[in-house]
Amino acid sequence: MMNFSSEQSVTKIGDVKLGGQPGELPTVLFGTAFFGKKYQEPDAAALEEIRGFIRAQETLSRLTGNPSVVDIYIGNRDTMAARIDLVLGELPKNRPISLDVPESEVRQAVLKHVHEIGASGRVILNSFNLAAEEKELNCLREYPPGCAILLGYNPKDFSVDGRIDMIETGAGYLDNGLMTYAREFGIKNLLLDAGATPFDHSAAETLRAIPVMKNRWGLPVGCAIHNTVESWLWMKQYRKEHKAEYLTCDVGSNALPIMLGADFCVYGPIRNAGTVFPFVAMVDKFIAEGAEDYFGVSQSDDHPRRKLG
Amino acid sequence: MYPWRGEFTVGSPDSQIAIDTLSSRIDFPPKDVAIWGQHKTENLGIEKIVANVVSNPNIRYLILCGQEVRGHRSGQSIKSLHSNGIDGNGRIIGATGAVPYIENITAEAIARFREQVELVDMIGIAEISVIAEKVKELSARRKEPIGEPIIMEFAERKKASRMKSLSGKVSLHKDLLVDPYLEVRAMEADI
Repeated sequence: MMNFSSEQSVTKIGDVKLGGQPGELPTVLFGTAFFGKKYQEPDAAALEEIRGFIRAQETLSRLTGNPSVVDIYIGNRDTMAARIDLVLGELPKNRPISLDVPESEVRQAVLKHVHEIGASGRVILNSFNLAAEEKELNCLREYPPGCAILLGYNPKDFSVDGRIDMIETGAGYLDNGLMTYAREFGIKNLLLDAGATPFDHSAAETLRAIPVMKNRWGLPVGCAIHNTVESWLWMKQYRKEHKAEYLTCDVGSNALPIMLGADFCVYGPIRNAGTVFPFVAMVDKFIAEGAEDYFGVSQSDDHPRRKLG
Repeated sequence: MYPWRGEFTVGSPDSQIAIDTLSSRIDFPPKDVAIWGQHKTENLGIEKIVANVVSNPNIRYLILCGQEVRGHRSGQSIKSLHSNGIDGNGRIIGATGAVPYIENITAEAIARFREQVELVDMIGIAEISVIAEKVKELSARRKEPIGEPIIMEFAERKKASRMKSLSGKVSLHKDLLVDPYLEVRAMEADI
């Protein structure tokens, strides 16, 4: 539907390719595993369930052509090794893994751990953000992951410009921009996350930031827009009695960034893969058809446009 | 009564107790508690609690209970705000959650919050009988209301730049121009 006059690079992380002009490559989908009370101290059945979700995501990825990444939630250092091992054990050898580690100290431990097991090159750090203090910066310098998602979340300024400022200058929170640090640390692949914010906190600026960031840097851009739906106050009550309707909104929200040029979506719990993949494949078909008809952007046979006639 | 919207229930205006149940869903008898609710995030969520607490000078106790919010560490973060305040960058000193920054409330409100409420740490406890016992104990220790209400408007966001007028074309952002067929290019190219 749209095309950027600035060059749009294609990034290859293991066997996953993303970026380029809208419609060129299918949207890459990140499903988060291990998030939720049930998986805090998972028993054998819960672990088997997670393996099942990972396999299901793989199957759907093969079916639709939308590349998949398992996003591993790691809340503390005690669980990191087992979680990473489990996921690596289920995936092809060259598939990247995304690590969602909210606490800085744990992030540092995880970066060191994946370095020690020789997996740094497969890691997508989700995310490198304003909360990185000196120790974490040093850790990233010492153990750079193969890829980092630079998060545009800027609590001082939720406008597009504020989000860009976070990546470009550090917005006063860091001495340098996230981009400058990432390049200094030698992180080869960079993805940009527009940083989803709740309704009434400039939620739409998350979407507006996507084409602006793509235009500015030519790098793959995405976000976890389902978080805006998850934090919607009215929906919090409504969803108690209307689970299907909530899922519709949650999954449907992914169409918005893709329409504005997003290359990847962090879609939330991996258990939703069954609904998310066909939905996103449909959106990708629209985008790809428009890109080819008007801009001459063609797709490979692995694109949902070709696979899902 | 409370100026900022959030996931909370309002109880008795006479009660001096607010309860933050963190990630747990717990309900209380409305006659015993002024306001209660869940609290997910270590930044915007804390801002809402502070804004609402300082708007009601009668609230003198804040109980933190329920299960801590994984990753966000919202309970630990609000405790840190109460004990330590924020640094020059808005970061809650000592908070270990993901993004513990306070940006939308005034220094005056933070100072008043720290002075106004006695914080009762029951993080990890979700049994209503245990919490109710604490509510009963605090209700018996009434304090004078503190000062005047502080009512804060949500901070004014930086407004987008005025779009340039370009007939037949759509501006998506001040730096981006979209033509009728949605080709996107830098604004300067067409000015």
